[in-house]
Amino acid sequence: MRIVVDRPRCEGHGLCEEAAPRLMHLDDDGELVLDREEIDEADAALANAAVRVCPVAALRIA
Amino acid sequence: MSGGAINRVVVVGNGIAGLTAADTLREAGFDGELTIVGDEPRPAYSRPALSKALLLDGDDVSSHELPPTGHGATELLGVRATALDLDRRLVSLDDGTALPYDRVVLATGSRARRLSSLSEELTLRGLDDALSLRGRLAATPSVIVVGGGPLGMEIASGCLAAGCQVTLVSQGVPLIVQLGPHLAGVFVRAALDQGLTIVETGSARLERREGSARVVLDEGAVREAEMIITAVGDVPNTEWLADTGLAPQGVIPVDSHGLVRPDVAAVGDLAAFPTPYGLRRIPLWSSAIEQAKVAARALVHGHDAPPLRFQPYFWTEQFGLSLKAVGYLPLEGEPTYIEGEPGGGPALMRWSHDDGAGVAAALNYRVAIPRLRRMSQAAA
Repeated sequence: MRIVVDRPRCEGHGLCEEAAPRLMHLDDDGELVLDREEIDEADAALANAAVRVCPVAALRIA
Repeated sequence: MSGGAINRVVVVGNGIAGLTAADTLREAGFDGELTIVGDEPRPAYSRPALSKALLLDGDDVSSHELPPTGHGATELLGVRATALDLDRRLVSLDDGTALPYDRVVLATGSRARRLSSLSEELTLRGLDDALSLRGRLAATPSVIVVGGGPLGMEIASGCLAAGCQVTLVSQGVPLIVQLGPHLAGVFVRAALDQGLTIVETGSARLERREGSARVVLDEGAVREAEMIITAVGDVPNTEWLADTGLAPQGVIPVDSHGLVRPDVAAVGDLAAFPTPYGLRRIPLWSSAIEQAKVAARALVHGHDAPPLRFQPYFWTEQFGLSLKAVGYLPLEGEPTYIEGEPGGGPALMRWSHDDGAGVAAALNYRVAIPRLRRMSQAAA
């Protein structure tokens, strides 16, 4: 599985980073950077938590 | 302290607080029978989006949608809880059934406070409200929004963008209570530039005269429009708990773990939790999520679980401005500018509270939220 970002929709709230700092972070410009392309089973719960917490539905699992 | 074996957990409320509690119960190792009760006949959605993107996005009505859940709970949607029996550990539902529990999460949120019982008074709290408003705006020449808080201003902004003539009726300067004089000034200027009419008043009420509703201000002045929307705060949904004594003033006070007792948690807009500034109800998206995470873990692991250390995060989008802020309100006095300068352009700002903590805010400025959090804590 992997995480997909809807760039135009992302507003840089960063709640996903707080939920799953191992998987993603906002860079200095507030742009979301995915640190893992592929999410393994061990991180699936983290990835889901990050996707769920986004208030503008900019993330999804593919 | 233990509340006994945990085989069955009932989460009452299917907003982001209830949903997060259910997810976190699973993460904390609870693998028993989990039931979520929600009074809306649909999955949980993002409430902040309702007054922002959802009012504005052309044909796209998906900005509020949350991804499918993974907690594997039995979801009872379109069902309302009517009573809680703490001794027998039962949640009664309006379909006549009752759910037994070993642990229960109270997350029934809050509803819009209303100024009248008139059907003409519209409010924006749920998805149905937002979709209905969206559908009607295009055909509505004039709108009065009563309430100068962030929600009222967001609605006014959305109505203006839809082409309506909009009058905002506000108790004092809009946003000044939440954002302080400096930022309120910035937002009011932007609103006026976009054509908003602002009427300041000490009080406002609604009445129906000759078949149509109108807003009556101080000293009897009257304002009329095709549509009247009020955004004057929220009321916790705690009436169903009246017999329990858990919500003495309509709000449920909880400890730093979000617990009322070892087997009962209360999270989200209906709970008042300990903050550095006393027991507070903080009805924000980020607050509901953090409360729910902490309380769910405490229900499973007791007070060994980490307590809540919430630092409020909130944002608003209106009149072409976007604000993100971290820290406890209110914002009093003038900020220090860390980036940018006064005048309403892109900027990073900080306000200090007396205790050295503070609020950091980004106006039309893209910034990593962890940096904003650090800025809010570090003395300037």
